[in-house]
Amino acid sequence: MLKLMKLEMRKFRISSYIYAALLATAVIFILMCTFSLNAEMREVFPIMNYENLFTILDVLVRGTYIVFAAVLLARIVIEEYRSKSINVLFMYPINRKKLIAAKLLVIIVFVFLAYILTNLAVGISIYILNQFISIIPEPLTLSMVFKTLTKIVMSALATSFLSLIPLYVGMRKHSVSATIVSSFLVAAIVCQTVEGFNLFSIVAVPVSMALLGAAVAYFSIRNVERDDVL
Amino acid sequence: MTYTVRTKQLTRAYNGKEAVSNVNLNIRQGEIYGLLGPNGAGKTTVMKMLTNLVKPTAGEIEIFGKKLTPHSYHLLGRMGTIIENPIFYERLTARENLELHCEYMGYYNKQSIAEALELVSLKGVEGKPVKDFSLGMKQRLNIARAILTKPELLILDEPINGLDPVGIKEFRDLFKMLCKQYGITILISTHILAEIELIADTIAVMNEGKLLQEVSMEHIAQQTAEYIELTTPSTQKAAYVLENYLNLTNIRITGEAELRIYDCPIPQSELMKGLVLHEVELEAVHQKKGSLEDYFLSILNGGGTIA
Repeated sequence: MLKLMKLEMRKFRISSYIYAALLATAVIFILMCTFSLNAEMREVFPIMNYENLFTILDVLVRGTYIVFAAVLLARIVIEEYRSKSINVLFMYPINRKKLIAAKLLVIIVFVFLAYILTNLAVGISIYILNQFISIIPEPLTLSMVFKTLTKIVMSALATSFLSLIPLYVGMRKHSVSATIVSSFLVAAIVCQTVEGFNLFSIVAVPVSMALLGAAVAYFSIRNVERDDVL
Repeated sequence: MTYTVRTKQLTRAYNGKEAVSNVNLNIRQGEIYGLLGPNGAGKTTVMKMLTNLVKPTAGEIEIFGKKLTPHSYHLLGRMGTIIENPIFYERLTARENLELHCEYMGYYNKQSIAEALELVSLKGVEGKPVKDFSLGMKQRLNIARAILTKPELLILDEPINGLDPVGIKEFRDLFKMLCKQYGITILISTHILAEIELIADTIAVMNEGKLLQEVSMEHIAQQTAEYIELTTPSTQKAAYVLENYLNLTNIRITGEAELRIYDCPIPQSELMKGLVLHEVELEAVHQKKGSLEDYFLSILNGGGTIA
């Protein structure tokens, strides 16, 4: 399986997506700086303490990587069907279920890792920045750090699975645009914040959506041996 | 006799309409087997069923003596395939595409890539991304990919599409060589009769999803005899002269100004002399070998369809 995943990464030049993720991280950092430094923005996004800061950061990262995952899905899975290169792939002496599972795993692992790393990178950068220009007056406690870290890991796990939901829409007609549009919808659901309240903070929501994502993955793999490739 | 591929009553229906119905193929080991038929005859569907891309609705497929099921992955590793258009990962180079193929096939012979590229005359361009290739070059690369792992069975669906005449000749020789030297069984489909005639040992003719005939080339050679075709404004007179003065009996008037002489026992010069002496006007004389085309068309017509 690891070998199949490596081949997938080679095939789709994963390095270009790593650069894209780095770019996204930089953009998120700049956004976070504007939110916390610009006086007008501070009225819209009240960043009073670290908890506010990390919540807003997490929402941004989540939205970014849900759409990012859809781009990966489109490229690694949907495009393969569209260009019919799946014909070639399915004529190899390798279990088709494994082939598709490898593709999805690449995406899950990528989103999971990138999610955590971006959160950490931007969080730490702002913390360092805070030492020079005081944005947040309160000190960062160790318990706060641990609490945030657990939250990030859990939310990364949920996001990496729930970002597979657009695959269901995309596979209907093997449409790249449908995949990406539906990812915006998913992002809208899990990222909306109304006066500090976030749908994602109700534990049942991310859990059930992650399960839904896993189900989508399962159903896209289940019949792959019996289905015709036209 | 060992058969590499056998199908029994192979049938595939799409929405209740049979694209392939009750096809029985018997492909012997080490032969070149031509699958011939007009567009939409079901050739590609048969080939897709042999490679597990499409599942039959009825019937059985046996490859290398084993029944093909949706889980027969190990059998796929012993085949090299070209189905429809050449498909590659366009952003990758030709070499990278072939390397990936080797990895997926579990074939680790570093030399084979260079060899395959040499065989299809693509040396020197392997570093270019495939999206910059012409159709002919992609088709060459496609063939390289199919033969790369030295498979026991090659399934080639219209492999010469997009190739120039020189390329077609080149590949004809290549397929013959692969068959002779490596003992590779080749199943090749085409709608170009003249091509298949030159390389196939056995030919199967398909139309509208049905297998009309499966015959060996030897048999066809006997069926398609030689004849001389005369073009003359006075066919009646020519026929009279041929029958009564030259004692030829196997004559057929095939058109307003055409006449054919089958199994002509006398040299063509004698024939011409005889006709000219009896003042038969001649516009043209052609010696023709009954081509596979005639035979093919007669099978298609005999099958109740209008060609």
